[in-house]
Amino acid sequence: MKFFLLVVSLIFFGFDLDLAFAQFKGEIIGSGGQKFPIAVSPLRNIGSATADAGRFSTGIADSIVHDLELSGWFRVIDRSSYIESPQKSGITLGTFDLKDWSTLGAEGLVKGGFSVQGSEIVVELRLFDVYQGKERIAKRYTGGVSQFRRIAHKFVDEIINQFTGIPGVFNTQIAYVSNSGGRFKEIYYSHLDGSEKRQVTDNRTINLSPSWGVNGRTILYSSFQDRGQTLYLRDLPSGKDLRFNPPGAGRFLGGKLSPDGQMVVATYESGGNSNLYLLDRSGNVIRRLTEDAGIEVSPSWSPDGKQIVYVSDRSGSPQIFVLDMQSGKTRRVTYSGSYNTTPEWSPKGDRIVYTGRVGSKFAIFTVPLEGGEPRKLTSESFDSEDPTWSPDGRFIAFSSNRAGRYHLYVMQASGENQRRLTGSGGDDSKPSWSPRLVD
Amino acid sequence: MEGRFKMAYCALLMVLSVAYGCAPSATTKPGPSSSGAGSASAKSSDTVRSGGGQAGGTKESDATASSLKALQEGKPPITPASSPLKDVFFDFDRYDLSADARGILRGNAEWLKNNPSARVDVEGHCDERGTNDYNLALGAKRAQAAREYLVSLGIAPDRLSTTSYGEEIPVCQERSEGCWRQNRRARFVIVARRATS
Repeated sequence: MKFFLLVVSLIFFGFDLDLAFAQFKGEIIGSGGQKFPIAVSPLRNIGSATADAGRFSTGIADSIVHDLELSGWFRVIDRSSYIESPQKSGITLGTFDLKDWSTLGAEGLVKGGFSVQGSEIVVELRLFDVYQGKERIAKRYTGGVSQFRRIAHKFVDEIINQFTGIPGVFNTQIAYVSNSGGRFKEIYYSHLDGSEKRQVTDNRTINLSPSWGVNGRTILYSSFQDRGQTLYLRDLPSGKDLRFNPPGAGRFLGGKLSPDGQMVVATYESGGNSNLYLLDRSGNVIRRLTEDAGIEVSPSWSPDGKQIVYVSDRSGSPQIFVLDMQSGKTRRVTYSGSYNTTPEWSPKGDRIVYTGRVGSKFAIFTVPLEGGEPRKLTSESFDSEDPTWSPDGRFIAFSSNRAGRYHLYVMQASGENQRRLTGSGGDDSKPSWSPRLVD
Repeated sequence: MEGRFKMAYCALLMVLSVAYGCAPSATTKPGPSSSGAGSASAKSSDTVRSGGGQAGGTKESDATASSLKALQEGKPPITPASSPLKDVFFDFDRYDLSADARGILRGNAEWLKNNPSARVDVEGHCDERGTNDYNLALGAKRAQAAREYLVSLGIAPDRLSTTSYGEEIPVCQERSEGCWRQNRRARFVIVARRATS
């Protein structure tokens, strides 16, 4: 029996999702239409009294609300209107009054409880179908108290799976560049809600272009930290860096790990000419991929690792090209606009997202791989740059100066529901979305 | 994009001078990095010499500091007005040399001929518009264009290295064309002066 009926409509992007709630209502809810109304109750402390109870009770609920709203598919009913007392009512069917929620217009309801034991927290979370009076998901999580928000992200990934048949992408991390610590540009990563923020580099120079390895345990980045710019591969668990020593007198300006994590495509600049090189994961040159006197930069792999999308100015302005690794053939993808850069291949393989110049501003576009009209996703009344796909291809993160300084934002792949992620106090840029985390 | 790391000096200047953002380089000169650089190109070889030649002599600040070093020291990456090697400027997304740029480079070449022991790193810079990756490559093109012209004027290639900082170390922080044009530049940093034969 399927209560949350999935209706996937392949309009425009192939990603637009319509969330339908059960046969009995027959409503189509989702992007472009009405959002699914859901309530998220603060969690009940089901363990012994603890000083931090309030922090966990509302903190986990807050994180769930954050993720649901970020997805763009839900309308979360405001907590101030909730009727029942979360610390007195039950968290299983029959131990609370569904009418307290249907009255508010909630069709879905998240309730849960937690107990803290030393440095561990056990969290139980449930999703209810308010109109049918049914429980849809029941999960129990155990984790370190400092990572309680990650439990919320995992549960929202389950909720998204329930509605769409594909898990959500909230148990992921975004790596980015920030000068929030002062005048230097260092690399950081955090969850989408800013929690569990970690500083990757601290060398007081310029560090750029972070990108994730397949398992989310490595970050490739470029840096001026030692003897000119080159690439470094950071192993996150050990904190160790592997320096890619450039061949000859040139330097590596940037690069990306292949989908299988075994190779790197890098931009190597020498004598003013930048070209693409294929490297092994220790930075040794396997072969040169482009032979051009101009600029070749910003390579990104196709999901199958057989093609590279990149930027070349061989036509007189920066445009996006695709290189087939086996045949060596290149094909131009963008024809409109005079400045198209930072392409990234969608996880589904069918579209390229990129930064394009519109008048004097920069905006995010996607274009079908096989050509066709680009679609502009952000407004040209400010700058938006450096797009990166979520691992499911349903979202795009990017940086924008719409609020003054550069901050990170996320939107649906259709361009809808643009929301700010960071506010570090500095300029945040160059986001790279991690794969789904195993843990 | 970005590059608006608000250095303390920039913020201070904005407050004190009520200037519209960072003033142009000529008026934002901080004390220490330029004080010893001499006044005319004819004299500057002496003052620079005091920095580079001797073992242990680390007074590189007598000359133009590299932009990265300026950043590390919290100083603006400004070429002192007294520097014998002048910046050249470029149009947006271009790396060809204008007539003005060639004129400046001829002056720089003249100094290099008169100071044959000097080796120079040519830095390429961009304004904040466009993406960081592309601007790194564009900055490399600018540095190389300036270098090649100097070589065509008779400067030995092995005296001239290049570095691109892309849009990462702007000299001017304001979001305006007046500021951007100052950032689209090549600058010349004396990296060594060996006692040559």
